[in-house]
Amino acid sequence: MLQARNLIKDYRRGRAVDGVDLEVGAGERVALLGPNGAGKTTTLLMCLGVVRPDSGSVQILGHRLPRGRYRAMEQVGFVAGYLPLPERMRVEEYLHMFAHLYGLRDPKAAARRGLERFDVPHLARAMGTELSSGQRTLIGVVKASLHRPRLMVLDEPTASLDPEVALRVRTGLRDLSETDGTSLLVTSHDMVEVERLCDRVVFLSHGQVVANGSVGEIARQFGRDDLEGVFLHLAAASEQSPREAAEQRPLATEASS
Amino acid sequence: MTELTYSGVPASVVRVGAVAKRHAFVLKRSPHRLFDVVMWPVVDTLLFGTIGVFASRNAGGAAQVPLYLMVGIVLWHVVYQAQIALSTGFLEETWSRNLLNLFTTPTREWEYIAGVALFGLVKLVVGVGAVALIAWTVYAFHITSLGFGLLPVVVLLMAIGMAISLFVIGLVLRFGSGAEALAWGILFGIMPISGVFYPVSALPVVIRPIAQALPTTHTFVVGQTLAQGHPMPWGQLAIAASATVGLLVVSTAYAAWMLRIFRERGYVTRYS
Repeated sequence: MLQARNLIKDYRRGRAVDGVDLEVGAGERVALLGPNGAGKTTTLLMCLGVVRPDSGSVQILGHRLPRGRYRAMEQVGFVAGYLPLPERMRVEEYLHMFAHLYGLRDPKAAARRGLERFDVPHLARAMGTELSSGQRTLIGVVKASLHRPRLMVLDEPTASLDPEVALRVRTGLRDLSETDGTSLLVTSHDMVEVERLCDRVVFLSHGQVVANGSVGEIARQFGRDDLEGVFLHLAAASEQSPREAAEQRPLATEASS
Repeated sequence: MTELTYSGVPASVVRVGAVAKRHAFVLKRSPHRLFDVVMWPVVDTLLFGTIGVFASRNAGGAAQVPLYLMVGIVLWHVVYQAQIALSTGFLEETWSRNLLNLFTTPTREWEYIAGVALFGLVKLVVGVGAVALIAWTVYAFHITSLGFGLLPVVVLLMAIGMAISLFVIGLVLRFGSGAEALAWGILFGIMPISGVFYPVSALPVVIRPIAQALPTTHTFVVGQTLAQGHPMPWGQLAIAASATVGLLVVSTAYAAWMLRIFRERGYVTRYS
């Protein structure tokens, strides 16, 4: 589905992503985790072809980026919890526009189906500015799933949502994944959400993959009870130099064994 | 399973239409945008038209002044509307932080530009129509008096306006919202040296070579020549067309270069 190899990205402030390998299989739900500044969003944006890697390669459904980006995006949906809806459009107009951009034959039916899936058909006529942050996120998810993509990339989809709306988003995503076989690649700071939604977790620290496995495997690898413990451990380590952080990892692994 | 086929309509055409429709909604729900489309053109026409009438009544041998001013203001708004429609269309995506959403769809850059330009044509027709109407009803100046020669002049001026807006888009991609002011200001740097309201020979000597290098200058000479009842100056038209094509190539290459830098440096995060 998605194969990223040895991604490297340098910004003026330093190296943001340092040799990341990332793979998402068909129907798989993968979380990309790490403390702030670990390189999650840059990695996602490189996987989407929005940011060009300094080196490395990205392939989505056999389409190699950047050349195959347009074909790849026909099968990819993207949603970010921090993106607003355009101010001067109704929800249905916004969804119809994206349905057209995705190349759907019947945008109205796709929008209606999407709104119903996430239980928000009553928002169809609302203006983007009239929505709460939770409703905006739901509409963002509807937008990203209009074309029943084979891969959905979600950057902090439930950030700042109340638990009820977050649950609705999670349930809708799980339903989408299970019924349509859509693969998910999710970044989140909500470890409970990740444990409930994702099959596999990839941890980034200092732009490098420091762990890759199921929730249980990773917790064991770092000698913690749950993902939150792993996250806190890595966040503390990220305050140190990359070398110190790397050196601390085997110790943690030893402690758990 | 995605539904990616159209019954006879290429997906690109549908995407261009979707982008155009999005900008139609923006205008419909932002009445203040009508200032750019109608208000300024009307104000400009009244201003320059009245100056022309005043000059023709009070200055000896100034019979050509009102003609220059009327041709200038009507044709200038072709450039202005074409440029401002495309530039503000793109800026709208930065203001509404919609760039990242657009970049993650199968939309090609040219499809997006074509969609904004398509709705820009509607704005251009409305804006220039308002100018032409005022010029006709208040000052008895028919822009159609230029004859069929008006067509290539309008096409060239539209192309120049779009080329300038591609340059502005490139600057915004590279330098962020700080470059926004150019969307409105850049044409006011070009207008005085393009012989819009007077012949280039009226400009200071040192500026004339710059004026001669601009496609706008030669296009306005064509418009002014036709308005005076002379036959089409094919030589000037050829120079204007060549210079316009050159400007389009350069501005497209510049915008593409800036887009590459935009992707390389991750500037999309400025708008997310």
